[in-house]
Amino acid sequence: MNYLDMDILSLHEALVEKKTTPLELCKEAIRRAKENDCNAFEKILEEEALKEAEQLVEPEKDNVLWGIPYLAKDNFSTKGIETTASSNVLKGYVPLFDAEVIARLKERKCVLIAKTSLDELAMGGTGTTSHIGMTYNPYDPSHERMVGGSSSGSAAALASGIGSFALGSDTGDSVRKPASFAGLVGMKPSWGRISRFGLFPFAPSLDHVGYFTRDVASSAVLLSFLAGRDDKDMTSSYRPVEDYASYLDKGISGVRVCYFSEIVSSLKDETMKEKFLSSLEELKKRGAIVEEVSFGLDLLKAVYPAYMVISCAEATSNDANLDGIKFGPYYDGKNYEEAMSKARTAGFSELIKRRFVIGSYCLMAENQEELFLRAQRLRHMIVDRLSEIYQNHDIVYLPAAPSIAPRFVDASDKLSAEYLIDDNHLALGNFAGLPSITVPLAFESGMPLGVNAMARAYEEGPLFAFAKALEEISGLSGLSVMNKKEGKL
Amino acid sequence: MNFEAVIGLEIHVEMKTRSKMFSASPNSFSRKPNSEVTVFDMAFPGTMPRLNKEAVRMAIRVANALHMKIDHELHFDRKNYFYPDLPKGFQITQQRRPIGSDGYLEIRKNGAKKKIGIERIHMEEDTCKQTHFVDYTLLDYNRAGVPLVEIVSRPEMHDGYEAMKYVEAIRNIVVYSGTSDGKMEEGSLRCDVNISLRPFGQKEFGTKVEIKNLNSLKNIQEAIEFERERQSALLLKGEKIRQETRRYDESRGETVLMRVKTDAVDYKYFPEPNIVPVKLSDEFVEDAIATCPELYDSKFERYLALGLAEKDAEIILSSPDMAAYFEGTLPSGCEAKEAANFLITEINSYLNKKGIAIGELGFDPLELGKITLLGKKEKLTHRQCADILFKCLDDHCSIDVAKKELHIEAMVDDEGAILSFVTAALDANPQSIADYKAGKERAISYLVGQVMKLSKGKAKPSAVMAKLREELAKR
Amino acid sequence: MKKVNRDVLIDASTRLLFSMKGEELDTLLEEFSILTKQMEMMKEVRGIEKFEPMTFPFDVSNSYLRDDVPAEPLSEEDVLKNAGNVKDGEIKLPKVVG
Repeated sequence: MNYLDMDILSLHEALVEKKTTPLELCKEAIRRAKENDCNAFEKILEEEALKEAEQLVEPEKDNVLWGIPYLAKDNFSTKGIETTASSNVLKGYVPLFDAEVIARLKERKCVLIAKTSLDELAMGGTGTTSHIGMTYNPYDPSHERMVGGSSSGSAAALASGIGSFALGSDTGDSVRKPASFAGLVGMKPSWGRISRFGLFPFAPSLDHVGYFTRDVASSAVLLSFLAGRDDKDMTSSYRPVEDYASYLDKGISGVRVCYFSEIVSSLKDETMKEKFLSSLEELKKRGAIVEEVSFGLDLLKAVYPAYMVISCAEATSNDANLDGIKFGPYYDGKNYEEAMSKARTAGFSELIKRRFVIGSYCLMAENQEELFLRAQRLRHMIVDRLSEIYQNHDIVYLPAAPSIAPRFVDASDKLSAEYLIDDNHLALGNFAGLPSITVPLAFESGMPLGVNAMARAYEEGPLFAFAKALEEISGLSGLSVMNKKEGKL
Repeated sequence: MNFEAVIGLEIHVEMKTRSKMFSASPNSFSRKPNSEVTVFDMAFPGTMPRLNKEAVRMAIRVANALHMKIDHELHFDRKNYFYPDLPKGFQITQQRRPIGSDGYLEIRKNGAKKKIGIERIHMEEDTCKQTHFVDYTLLDYNRAGVPLVEIVSRPEMHDGYEAMKYVEAIRNIVVYSGTSDGKMEEGSLRCDVNISLRPFGQKEFGTKVEIKNLNSLKNIQEAIEFERERQSALLLKGEKIRQETRRYDESRGETVLMRVKTDAVDYKYFPEPNIVPVKLSDEFVEDAIATCPELYDSKFERYLALGLAEKDAEIILSSPDMAAYFEGTLPSGCEAKEAANFLITEINSYLNKKGIAIGELGFDPLELGKITLLGKKEKLTHRQCADILFKCLDDHCSIDVAKKELHIEAMVDDEGAILSFVTAALDANPQSIADYKAGKERAISYLVGQVMKLSKGKAKPSAVMAKLREELAKR
Repeated sequence: MKKVNRDVLIDASTRLLFSMKGEELDTLLEEFSILTKQMEMMKEVRGIEKFEPMTFPFDVSNSYLRDDVPAEPLSEEDVLKNAGNVKDGEIKLPKVVG
């Protein structure tokens, strides 16, 4: 096993003991990245990363992130490095500033290895709409299966063992769903916990900075550095940042866990269902109190349409700045409308345009009450229902996806007439801004299956304790295609 | 005229904070294009708004001056539309919950006070500046994000004079509260007029016409009067008023069609998701109000109480710098009225002559106060005091030096000295005595002149006159 | 609610400053019929009108306001660096007619 495959704390120890160096790690990560065939990268930052790693000579004992290599989704602003959010509309755009998370990691002397591809502008869940084409699931060498999206490149690259962690963003499930398909730990903390400054917005009221790791402990360690008030983001929280790693060994005895009957009963995949149910038994053995709860089918059915309406409405406004005038490819025209239209027509793919029209339509004065405001009322009902549930339970525990990663041929980015409640419920965590984490549970046909847990807002600590228990149950810690495991379930 | 005009105004005021509304870019109205820009103003992806504390304080002060209800929780919305001067493709404004609502101000008309209702005041951000050339347009982002307050009146004005007085009152408030320099000609106070006509006694409003580009008080009044007549003439001919936007052509004294309004623009407002509600403490609001500089109306009343004529108070208050200068004279113990006289007459003419503003005068107002005191203290004439003042202004010298160089000495009014001058003059001019006795009043003027000559101008004329009559009666 | 048809969608996309192809509009029409039907059904969800529209994930507010201290502005070079059409230190556009 290469040092690169270690968890963050073990790797830190190895660095401090000079068993390896940031430069070695960086070289190995770049080698793996170049060999990778998942189409996961917008840009491998070979030159920049090596230059930074070379300068990291004397280990910093009390900085666990010193010299740690990582990846960032290409919708995080990086100063001096082209950032396109995988959209042609931003081709050639070189930001003048770092996103807050990028700046914090830079200060900690983490080494950014690559900018990863995503569904264009983070809108989409399949990893198929990047301007560089579709991203493949590393667990499927035939390249028939998706890795999910929108943080597709980050998921594929981290599951390929490139770097110690990867930044993503999560508006509906864009970190937590691909984590399930790629056998990773995917974390999205509470809304406001991590500054969004420098994250290209999709729908700010639902957007979260999230990240992938290959084990729960690394996830907990990282949050303590990424979280915290930032005056550049007026929505970021003043709540004190905790030592989240200190929760890891607290266990789950007496923790009140619930799952939603509607979702589990709608699962069609027998393996998923069976493994999920056996995990419940394991949780009980560890002292958790597990209960089935009915969330309300009507509200679960409301999640996806409400999500579409709210996210598309916010997106059409956020992306109105993309017009080729201040940045991005410029097109000439007879008048400004023509110039801007040419840039936007050429710059956006079909999916994006459809979503913008939907969003804009929902905001029109004559439609607002029946579409946008109704969706916001549904959001309110859903959030209130969750609050009720959290009065009697600490953790909501559910499958992260209905099955293993789907084949590209079976997937569509079009709106479905079916209510796929077991495929869309992760958005509950975005509606209510709850901390939510996906961890691998088991394998089916060589492909990973993940589960998800959500806690009350700002209760990231107890969530990590629960996730740690799940990791022990599954036996799937430190998973990647470089480090395959069978699992215990 | 058979119709009543119904007029409502929307006024945008640029606030003179040090930084912009939602970004820390400098806000010093630099003339060098794109020299006051940070990443937010260019709408670079991932930038987020950061609300300016001072802009909120200023908005509170204006809202308070307009007797408005102040919302202690700030909410913002997005107004979505595409235009090249709007970098983000939306403007952050306060659509649902303006910081101030339901207020009024008072104007004076025909000696009576009239209340004009004000619907709302809200904060928003300015757009960037476009410069149009023959076949292209240039964009300067310095103005993008400059803090604005928009003040929306109720449609409660009925003629150009009322509208003009309303705008003047708003300007006085924003200028004296330190919120804005309120310069209409430079666009830091911008006024749009909505005007419709209806037969007297009718409740329903007529079709509304909007007039833009009104860059002076005079133009507001004239444009409205023109528009009243234009619409009235159309209505009398049985024609309909079109809903349209017009601008005022100053040179022709007419409003000119800009565009006919088709369907109303749908701005697709929704709450700004990047600004959570901001709670303002009572202390914050109270402090903003308590620290508001003294406003126009209060100063006006105070000046009248100090003995100034209304007209003089108005002249002094027409410029905050002038008012500050005036107030700077008072600690000298001078008569307010005297100081006002010197300010309005001598200082103003001096400023005009030199083509400078009062801020550039470089003369301590306290010294002016002292000069006006010389009239009483040293029995100098107004003319003498004025000469000293001009000497001080020109030479940047002290009052004493000016007096010395101008050979100005105090008036002589003690009886003995005057009597001796009078006696000498009478003795030397028997013919004048005879003329006087023969009823020629003019003779006495001649004698006064002679006395003044003998006294080298130092005798006090009123004392001379009295003594002359007394002595003439004896002869 | 405004009735959705091809022309409405073409108009909406034109106002959003992009054009869409025929088959793209077909897909969009399909999506609209699904979405509006679903949203219409949500009207039936128990007592929805009692709930205020919610923008933020939870009841959240703060009292932070930025101090009015100007920051160092971008250099002119940086301001214009990413713009495709520049003239005399400003961003250039085809003539805008007010």
